[in-house]
Amino acid sequence: MNLIKPVILHRPWLKANFIYATTVRNHLWTKDYKPGPFPKTEEQRAAAAEKYGLPLSEYASYPDDGGQALGDYPCLPMISAEVKDPYYPWDNPELKRNFNEPMHYQFDLLREDRYNVNARFRKPMWYMLAQCLGAMLSSFGLFWVCDFVKMFHPVTPRQYPKKGAVGLKVRGYGPNQF
Amino acid sequence: MGNAVGTYPVNGFKLYFHPEVTPSPYEEPTFDPNLGFAGKRKPRVMVATEEEMRSAKLALEDRDYCAHVLLKFRKCRRDNFPFVVKCEHEKHAYLNCQNDDFLLRAKEYERERRLRVRAVAEQKAQEV
Repeated sequence: MNLIKPVILHRPWLKANFIYATTVRNHLWTKDYKPGPFPKTEEQRAAAAEKYGLPLSEYASYPDDGGQALGDYPCLPMISAEVKDPYYPWDNPELKRNFNEPMHYQFDLLREDRYNVNARFRKPMWYMLAQCLGAMLSSFGLFWVCDFVKMFHPVTPRQYPKKGAVGLKVRGYGPNQF
Repeated sequence: MGNAVGTYPVNGFKLYFHPEVTPSPYEEPTFDPNLGFAGKRKPRVMVATEEEMRSAKLALEDRDYCAHVLLKFRKCRRDNFPFVVKCEHEKHAYLNCQNDDFLLRAKEYERERRLRVRAVAEQKAQEV
């Protein structure tokens, strides 16, 4: 009595006719999306550039780490999305990225909601350091001077009729250092 | 007491750079109270007795020459609570008493300072 029959589509068929599916899961396991081995010969470099959709002149690989992680993955320039042109008609404006554009190894760092590696300071670093030190040192200097120079009301201590009670109430004169 | 913003810090610098002529606010007057007066100066009168202050549990620091005014103020507050606004006259009297006391102290300080300046000047004149 199953009115709705599940349609079972097989992966090879879906892969061949991907127009019927929104997604095809090609990567199931870490080894499936791991880059290839480090390219040593010129032919391997050309194959790797072809694989990642880059002209051979723009292709550069990371230093060989013995086949651990990066392999033949291309070493792309580090450009944050924040400094990319916002008026360019990107295919994917949210990420400022074109279709099939190779992604940087640290793409998760370069998004607009993350870090801007190409940020430029408004003032040079020595200037900002001088600003910080100037503010802190002048505050400390004021504090240091006022440690020796206590301000006070020009009055004698309070007068009490009872002997030995002199100066019981001393308000606002700071510590009894005088 | 005008020009407080300028006066109070300057007092600190005066005490630091000229301690011989600037009395500290913790120092009692050092000169004879009757110095320079024809007769004797009138001593201050303490109105409230020790017994009264003790039975009212007045704080030690409040047992000054305004204590009797303060006792009246406290009594009025106690009698009229919670309508303590009726004691505005008593409060005003107490604050006036404190203000007069402060004025006296300021005059004592200034007298002490001027006498010190004069003493230093006389000492210098003798040395020359």
